[in-house]
Amino acid sequence: MSEQTPTDLQLEFQINGRNMKRRAQPHQRLLDFIRDDLALTGAKEGCGAGECGTCSVFVDGKLVKSCLMPVAKANGTKIETIEGLAGWGGDLTPVQKAFHKTGASQCGYCIPGMVMAATSALRENPKADIEEIKERLGGNICRCTGYTKIFEAVEMARDVLSGEANAAVLEADGPGKSYIGNNVRRLDAPSKVAGRLRYAGDMVMPGMLHMQVLRSPHAHALIKSIDTSEAENLPGVACVITADDVPGEDGFGVFVHDQPIMARGRVRYVGEAIAAVTADDVMTAAHAVSLIKVEYEQVAAVFDAEEAMQNGAPVVHDYAPDNIVKHIPIRKGDLVQGFADADLVVEQTYETQAVEHAYLEPEAGIAYVDHDDVVTVVSPSQNITHHRHMLAKIIDRPINKVRFIMSPVGGGFGGKEDMIYQGMLALSAMKTGSPVRLVYTREESIISTAKRHPARITYKMGLKNDGRITAVSFRMICDGGAYGLSTEGVMRKAAILSCGPYNVPNVEIDVYGVYTHNTPSGAFRTFGAMQSQFATESHMDICAEKLGLDPFEIRRINMMHDGAVTHTQQTLGSVSMGRVLDAAEKACRWDAGPVSMRGQDRSDLGGDDTRPPCTLGARFRKTGDDDHQEVA
Amino acid sequence: MLTCDQYHMPTSLADALALWQDAPEGTRLVAGATDILPWAREGRAGDVHLPAMIDLSRVPELDGYTVDDGRIRLGANVVYQQFLTDEKLRALLPCMPYCSIWFADDQIREQATLAGNIVNASPAADGTPPVLALNGELEIARLEGGGIAQRIVAISDFIKGPGVTDLQPGEIVTAVICDTLEGYGGSFQKVGQRRSLVISSVCAVACVRLNEDDGTVADIRLALGGISPVPLRLTRTEQMLTGKRLTREMIVEAARQPADLVASRTRREYRRVVVRGFVEAAIEDALADCGAAVPNTDTRETANV
Repeated sequence: MSEQTPTDLQLEFQINGRNMKRRAQPHQRLLDFIRDDLALTGAKEGCGAGECGTCSVFVDGKLVKSCLMPVAKANGTKIETIEGLAGWGGDLTPVQKAFHKTGASQCGYCIPGMVMAATSALRENPKADIEEIKERLGGNICRCTGYTKIFEAVEMARDVLSGEANAAVLEADGPGKSYIGNNVRRLDAPSKVAGRLRYAGDMVMPGMLHMQVLRSPHAHALIKSIDTSEAENLPGVACVITADDVPGEDGFGVFVHDQPIMARGRVRYVGEAIAAVTADDVMTAAHAVSLIKVEYEQVAAVFDAEEAMQNGAPVVHDYAPDNIVKHIPIRKGDLVQGFADADLVVEQTYETQAVEHAYLEPEAGIAYVDHDDVVTVVSPSQNITHHRHMLAKIIDRPINKVRFIMSPVGGGFGGKEDMIYQGMLALSAMKTGSPVRLVYTREESIISTAKRHPARITYKMGLKNDGRITAVSFRMICDGGAYGLSTEGVMRKAAILSCGPYNVPNVEIDVYGVYTHNTPSGAFRTFGAMQSQFATESHMDICAEKLGLDPFEIRRINMMHDGAVTHTQQTLGSVSMGRVLDAAEKACRWDAGPVSMRGQDRSDLGGDDTRPPCTLGARFRKTGDDDHQEVA
Repeated sequence: MLTCDQYHMPTSLADALALWQDAPEGTRLVAGATDILPWAREGRAGDVHLPAMIDLSRVPELDGYTVDDGRIRLGANVVYQQFLTDEKLRALLPCMPYCSIWFADDQIREQATLAGNIVNASPAADGTPPVLALNGELEIARLEGGGIAQRIVAISDFIKGPGVTDLQPGEIVTAVICDTLEGYGGSFQKVGQRRSLVISSVCAVACVRLNEDDGTVADIRLALGGISPVPLRLTRTEQMLTGKRLTREMIVEAARQPADLVASRTRREYRRVVVRGFVEAAIEDALADCGAAVPNTDTRETANV
């Protein structure tokens, strides 16, 4: 820090029609100013780096990303935020109504920015066609919808605004005889399209303090000492906590409670929390974090799941000397006989990688101790009842003195099932007696929270020449990372679904979740099924090609029917696989035959009802000119 | 996170130069500020504290553009969006709308300036190869003897290496001066990981004008970015094609040459492969842009649409 004192800025501007005169700090971004100083929280911070567009606002009529604009640039300008589009309590704009109508808002976190970008697109060109709309919304990211409903909404709003469509299309459809098959609107959509819904990071409480976290730079190290004295003495700091401050039984996880709320004597992955500072503001807390001294002794680490299974590999947790979080074995029939009966045996190894959930809302939460001594945590947790029970043990309080409130989840996809930061918040609120808020940066969210399990699957399948499967050997090794989280459940589901919806008489399945010193793996949409289905369906295609069969045909030959018994001995009352295949074949206008026999002349590619990728040429189209330049 | 003690917004060039000349060590000049804020985050520069920032966006001498005898002076405050929306600029600088649309999204284009992009001197900067192809120069101002002194330097001499320029202490880039190429076809190619917002791995620019009488190449400009510490003008390839009637074979042959120039530190083989397709595509798209027949019946990306 420099010795010089920051010189406040004097700003005069108009926001949502109101003239204002305010002081601001020189380093503030427009986003910080409108959220923290003006309490307009419709604009969000999804990334802080100009990538996602959750912070889009109009400045002098031009849409900008307010996370990329120093607040000084707003001096003398007219600012319009999502709150200004329709006004508080006012009727929604046609764009907002259209987002409501088409179901364009799901988690809602990107939606204020999307509505602003859609509004900007139609202000810039009221006749923008779909390609131009896509291009103009290119700076905004949505992780829930796949964009289709958003694009539908913008086109609907365009047509209403231009008079081509009656405004009645924006109103709710009647439910008809059933809600199923009819357009039923989300009850919470108006609050989302208007930017009024407050997520955890938007919430403030009187006397609220702010938390920042010290994280491990090492994948595996012993913590020899932590010196927090300098941080604690910094003016503005309310408390610093480490694992030593945990009063109860420290440990959380969905199946095995192997993860302390902050590293206890040892760090096991880069990004693991070591200490947390609570201070008057984020900058002071961040400064204090930089003053904490940690002495590490780095020790050998293991980063590959198969290596971690070998004898002599570094041990991640003492309770599991073989580094196995969970092994799920399943046996059915006679595998040796099954392969002996086969005309063709195909073996192949498939690998999938770690995937970040990338919900637009980074983790955030507020904790406080209420007037009845109830420790309360408000956060977008996807598993609050389980978190409540775990936290009661960790802080050694009876269950009726622990409360979890689920704030709106700005995208979860499984990534918010783990109690990664709520324990630190609760402990700091108990120590300080004040409400404490923690809002992750995007970088922090990516480095410290669970990912999809990377998997290596060795698939061996025996088949008759007519396409019938005689045997499957399925060996899947998943990198569970440094802590258990949901690994056990993910392994179980992967094993249960490993052979897909196919009848296989002889089966040998071994699924392993393995500890390594990588970022922990956890729950992620499909919960293990995606990895095993990727292998199974890829393998079916490869086998079909080798046997000269149509990919649909090999699946029909082997698919389960009503009453089938799975390899886990579950009897299936009804199986829709046949209908699914029929529908998929028809919808894609499948060009029948083995794939290897068809070249570039396939008839099933493209077509009116397929969605072409966005091309950047939309802005260069010349009307009435066919040989325009398409910028790819 | 980026913090600073002072944030200045001078309203004349003289004030800006005076502030800059007397600024404490570590002060940064900003224009759009769209690069410096993401730079000061974890994974890049981390937390950065600056004694002061001097914001040039309210300096009127840096606004707008003037055209004179085949050259255009683009004030340093001209933002990327103008190349896309200003009809006159689109006509005068036919490659710039394509560069602009690849550069970022509408929102960032409203803030980010061409001059700022060049001064950053990133080997992957989108703005530098087009300016190189347009025989660009930078107009630079400094305080001297109580007045404002100016010098002009060619962009090829200005960019010294990654992040390194010829800019001296106390100097501010006030304009980018380059050829106007009305009647040319222009194009810009870029590869990166996302369409709307991405830093180039490799980019290529082409401008071409054909002789009306015989359809031969009257003038062609080609430049590449992202393949070496500084962007490169493909002078040898330009000479090879000038005066010729372009055939498919000639374009393929021309595109083969620049692969040898790839000198990046990373992904060199990948870049060599990409560059070849890029130069081909750049020439063909520029031909299409000026309404000429493209001697290639293959469609590129649209083949898979």
